[in-house]
Amino acid sequence: MTTRRWLNGAGTWLAIIALAVILAPIFLSATPWPTVARDYLQQQGTADSGAINLVSAIYLGYRVFDTFGETIVLLVAILGTMGLLSQLEHLVEPAQNDQKALETTSRFALAQEKRRSHTLRTHLLEVVTGKVGPIVLLFGFYVMLYGHISPGGGFQGGVIVASGIVFLSLGNPQEGSFGISRPQVLIRLEILAFFTLIVIFSSGLITGSGFFGNPLADTPFPVAHIVLLNAVIGLKVGMSIGFMCIAMMGERT
Amino acid sequence: MIIIMLVLIVILALYSLIGRDLLHVVIAMSAISLICALLFVLLDAPDVAITEAAVGAGVSTVIYVWALRHTRRRDDDNT
Repeated sequence: MTTRRWLNGAGTWLAIIALAVILAPIFLSATPWPTVARDYLQQQGTADSGAINLVSAIYLGYRVFDTFGETIVLLVAILGTMGLLSQLEHLVEPAQNDQKALETTSRFALAQEKRRSHTLRTHLLEVVTGKVGPIVLLFGFYVMLYGHISPGGGFQGGVIVASGIVFLSLGNPQEGSFGISRPQVLIRLEILAFFTLIVIFSSGLITGSGFFGNPLADTPFPVAHIVLLNAVIGLKVGMSIGFMCIAMMGERT
Repeated sequence: MIIIMLVLIVILALYSLIGRDLLHVVIAMSAISLICALLFVLLDAPDVAITEAAVGAGVSTVIYVWALRHTRRRDDDNT
């Protein structure tokens, strides 16, 4: 046992030293950073896309392909998590009144009558999360919709919206008194958002700017494309992460 | 200032590799994300800072704590 532990420790330190040896030349080198893309974006970025925040102009304008890939990665991750969670439910017998079944089921709190989180809940948590939840939701939608002007965007706003949803579902005294913390509503909104995303990506085909192209590039408001994409991606991210967290906390799915 | 933050990140990362109490390790990783977010703000990257604070310090900590609640809290020696 002790030799094993010693070996584990030695392996950890060996990995750290190897990482330092690999990374040291990168930190010590004095190669100048490439500036061509930076200069081009500084001169042309705002005029091309209409967005003042150049980060959103890049990831929703010039590199939409990467954003689409990220969205799909998130979708697959949520699918895998939900698959694992639904498998967990099969391992658990239906809850009965005797102590053993309660003990078993409270370990995998998933369905309505097996919730352990209710017993751990305090008035402080309920009051604070119930009051803070709507404000967090509002801030999330602000970050989402103003991603083209101020720092933020779809993914960031979506995660804030997700925490707002989790706050609301922690804070409400009755089950499902807020529609947005109900899993059926969340999953429908997510499906709708992903469908809209694909429709927006394909709409460039009709106007001639190609798949992933900006269909409004020739109009006076090219920034509408970025605002729309931010809103849809934010909805999708927020709903899926909120859905996952609520399923983990033991809401009925 | 930046050097202090980087040193703190390295110390917390080493602790999260070596530490045995997994709840403390999760909190240390959350602190790493928070310091990273501050670092990104200092380096004029507010977009990345928002992402790091929301995902690293928020959602991933929740998921780790959830996973911890369903398993054991102590790290095992002979695994």
